[in-house]
Amino acid sequence: MNIQNEEEGCTGCKAANPPKWRQDFPIEWEGDHYVSRREMVKFLTLGSLLLAAANWATVLASKLLHRGSRAERNIGPVSSFEKNGSMLFRYPTESDPCIAVRTPEGKLVAYSQVCTHLSCAVVYDKTENGLFCPCHHGLFNLAGQPIAGPPTRPLPRVQLEQRGDQLFAVGLEVS
Amino acid sequence: MSLRRQGTTLFAAILAFASAAVVLQLWLLTVSLEALLSGAYKTLIPASAGSTVLLLVNAGLLRYVFRFDRDAQGE
Repeated sequence: MNIQNEEEGCTGCKAANPPKWRQDFPIEWEGDHYVSRREMVKFLTLGSLLLAAANWATVLASKLLHRGSRAERNIGPVSSFEKNGSMLFRYPTESDPCIAVRTPEGKLVAYSQVCTHLSCAVVYDKTENGLFCPCHHGLFNLAGQPIAGPPTRPLPRVQLEQRGDQLFAVGLEVS
Repeated sequence: MSLRRQGTTLFAAILAFASAAVVLQLWLLTVSLEALLSGAYKTLIPASAGSTVLLLVNAGLLRYVFRFDRDAQGE
């Protein structure tokens, strides 16, 4: 009641003698909103900084992961590949299954064996002349592109290099 | 209309911009993480660059807010 009287009473004495609660809390409603919004912009900018940093951290992580994929590995003798034949190997690490195929044209190609749909292992299908995923009947052609079934992304390609009779995996290319 | 009162409206707009930028950055981060896990590294640098641009926009807005605040106090 006292407060109301002081607020509704003479405006001149209000300025000269503000109520006790006003002295303890001298911030207007408008000013209060103003400050909190300013704080919110600061908070959002800090969040923005953290998100940008997290995004660059993914770039850094990809560099570290990519470093491992530059290792070289001997797959075996080229002469062991029959025409329309395939061979399984591991690259770049022991936990990354890959498949090398000699195409009907005699060209050697290799891909990660992990299907880009739900990570089942693809196998070479001579009749379809492609890499077949038995889990959901996905099919990739020998360029690694998905041509049937649920996969939408191509298989990572293993770069091959022939040195004499030996075949080496020298890199992993993800498109 | 006082500078402080104008600021209340202005800050609402700035907040909306900054919030939209942060939501976009969140989306870019999810895209980057998905690309990282699927091995599609080509997406990562453009997404990070985009995120940095949004950060710069937010930093510019914050600088403007500080300037506005200083002017309002001087009024």
